Amino acid sequence: MKLKALLASGTIALACLAAPASHAAGTLTVALHQDPGNWDPVATFLVSWGAVGSQIFDGLIMRTPDMKLVPGLATKWEFLDKNTKIRFTLRQGVKFHDGEPFDADAVKFTFDRLLGDEGKKGPQQSNYTSIDKVVVVNPTTVDFIMKSPDPVLLTKLAGYGAMIVPPKYVKEKGSEYFGAHPVGTGPFKFVEYKPKISLALEKNAAYWGGSPKVDNLTYRFIAEPATQAAELQAGRVDVANQIPLAMVDTIKKDPKLAVVSMDGPVALALRYNTKRGIMQNRDVRKALTLAVDRDAIIKSVLLGQAKPIASFQGTLSFGNDPALKPLPFNPKEAMALLKKAGVKPGTQIQLDFRGPDSNFREVAQAVAGYLQAVGITVTLKPYETNVLLNDIIPNGKTGEMWQNQWGGWTFDYDNTAYAMYYTKQRWNPFDDDAKLNALLHQQRNTWDQAARKDTLQEIARYVADQSLEMPLYSLNTVYGINKRAKDLALPADGRFRFVDARVD
Amino acid sequence: MSGFVLKRVLQAAFVLLVVTLFVSYAVRLTGDPAIMLAQGAGSVTEQDLANIRKGLGLDQPFLVQYGAFLRGLLHGDFGKSFMGGTPVAQLIGDALPATLSLAGLSLLLSVLVSVPLGIQAAIHQGKGTDQFIRIISLVGLSFPNFWLAIMLVLLLSITFPLLPPSGWDGPLSLVMPALTMAIILSATNVRLVRTAMLETLSAQYIMVARAKGLSERIVLYKHALRNCAIPLITYIGLQFGNLIGGIVVVEKVFNWPGLGTLAFDAISGRDYPVLQGTVTVLSLIIVLVNLLVDMAYGLVDPRIRSK
Repeated sequence: MKLKALLASGTIALACLAAPASHAAGTLTVALHQDPGNWDPVATFLVSWGAVGSQIFDGLIMRTPDMKLVPGLATKWEFLDKNTKIRFTLRQGVKFHDGEPFDADAVKFTFDRLLGDEGKKGPQQSNYTSIDKVVVVNPTTVDFIMKSPDPVLLTKLAGYGAMIVPPKYVKEKGSEYFGAHPVGTGPFKFVEYKPKISLALEKNAAYWGGSPKVDNLTYRFIAEPATQAAELQAGRVDVANQIPLAMVDTIKKDPKLAVVSMDGPVALALRYNTKRGIMQNRDVRKALTLAVDRDAIIKSVLLGQAKPIASFQGTLSFGNDPALKPLPFNPKEAMALLKKAGVKPGTQIQLDFRGPDSNFREVAQAVAGYLQAVGITVTLKPYETNVLLNDIIPNGKTGEMWQNQWGGWTFDYDNTAYAMYYTKQRWNPFDDDAKLNALLHQQRNTWDQAARKDTLQEIARYVADQSLEMPLYSLNTVYGINKRAKDLALPADGRFRFVDARVD
Repeated sequence: MSGFVLKRVLQAAFVLLVVTLFVSYAVRLTGDPAIMLAQGAGSVTEQDLANIRKGLGLDQPFLVQYGAFLRGLLHGDFGKSFMGGTPVAQLIGDALPATLSLAGLSLLLSVLVSVPLGIQAAIHQGKGTDQFIRIISLVGLSFPNFWLAIMLVLLLSITFPLLPPSGWDGPLSLVMPALTMAIILSATNVRLVRTAMLETLSAQYIMVARAKGLSERIVLYKHALRNCAIPLITYIGLQFGNLIGGIVVVEKVFNWPGLGTLAFDAISGRDYPVLQGTVTVLSLIIVLVNLLVDMAYGLVDPRIRSK
């Protein structure tokens, strides 16, 4: 204790030199795990882009932190001509950060760019291909002419690629410059970007939704979760978007800090290779699902920061059916089913997973333990993530089980289910089910949300009935925050909008 | 001497060519950047992925891509990052000073610590001081660098908030990463200095020098140290390669904006141009250091020049 006091007092001078630890008044600092490298809305699809994009840009529609759709740059929208046309009425008097007025031409320019050659270079385009074209009716009205119904379109217009960009600025400066010096209509204006290090924004006092309360907003790119936690503890960041689960308790105990945890968009499942060996038998697949105590895994490995799921989606997802319950942990029934299916004790299967994910490695070990208890020996096969995603899964080279993790940014089961179960989709190397295809097609081609919800729930029930996968859990979105920051309105999908945020 | 230098420079150029070829080929085995860029993009189709690949020039045969990279290199153009399109030369230009200052300071610190300690251990061979120094260096050797880095952060940023835990916030940010590297380096350097010094001290000319009545200081620092400089320079030159390897990890933990972080992120993001660029520059540095080491021999020991 003496040593501690001595060290502390003897080095106060040094500590003063290290003064960047203290904040300038009115600056909110956020740690992000990744620098997307380009701020052009059409360029990337990374969550870290979304965490910044909604500060600089607005979409026609916006989403509140609890994921409700509300008017953005469009004040209202109506479906015309038997739902083949959507008419948007635009907000008046809005200006881009460089002074350029926002109007119908800007909307048309944005979508022409997204659906044209410029958009082809990025991954965004594929999400908007249901739009045939955008037609200017008058400066405050645009029509979207649809090629086909796209029930998730309104959600998509609230984010990412559909953010409205300034035509004159983009044309004059070019996309490359725009990507490094973004201009939008959002609550914060671009100040400075240091690739891989930081991004500085300042408030847009003329924001149509009211001026933000903080003067400056700084993002720091810190990939290592442990380093984010250290920066948070040192009081140098106010929001950390990735902290190690093991650090949650330590941060909670710090009187200056808090942990904010909520249902998130990321779901995990162990998919079954229904073409291989014993896994062709539905009863065997069901038995494996019954044999694993997922509640215990969530409690002990994930320290409670996840929820059990019955289908491959989180609770916030459109199409999630609270009445559909996960199969209970029942090793006895599992063993009976395996016996009936003629599976001999000691039968070997292989589980492929993302090796670098240390949390999941423990989950996989736990799963192997539970399966061992019902007589199935599991060989764990860790792959480098990209190898698993690029070579093993799409080419159908997996073992009997494989880890699948999905982010579903639209919070709509369509996004996941289509990619997972429609025949020959990249994430569906094994299953080919005409009934599933028909259902997936049906929900995609209607604007009727009530009917869609029924269909999506039917899909989830059918997949569960066929035991195509072992649904594991949906991960909570966990933020570490400094309590000096108030009214952060943290969203489950990581797409921050700090309009009301304050710092003491 | 000029023939010697020319030969070494040609060798260096050849090494670099092989390294770039190998790295360019190897990164392409690690997987497809298109899927990384499309990450999270709902139901991304094969056509979307093909478009992205085409946009990045990845639809071309490997040798064509490699040729384009080499042509760019000759013009000082490293290409553009797949992630966002920032010119790689700019990214490297920003990161290089950070890495060089970290490497330089770590090396300097370690020499300042390890040479006197190694000499002390050699003089007191077998005695308490020697034992103590050897135990300390053994402890230093046993630390994995990332663990040491995390412990330093806990101690000097969280428990005693003296230094910034990560990033670049002025010169103080350099202290912990350099200290981490220096501790690891010193552990081996101390042992090396000790061994080299012991060997030298048993040589006849040292006994002669002592017999002439020269002070122990002069014997040690003038006669002995100069003669064990060759193995030391060699070793420190070789060590530079290890140093760079270790820096990747240490930079990562401290979020140090250097080449190590750049390379690490490029690996996880399959950002081929950035990885090719950083590895090329890192190998260039290592090759240059080795070249300098070779030339330094020539300066220290004229016999080597004539070989």
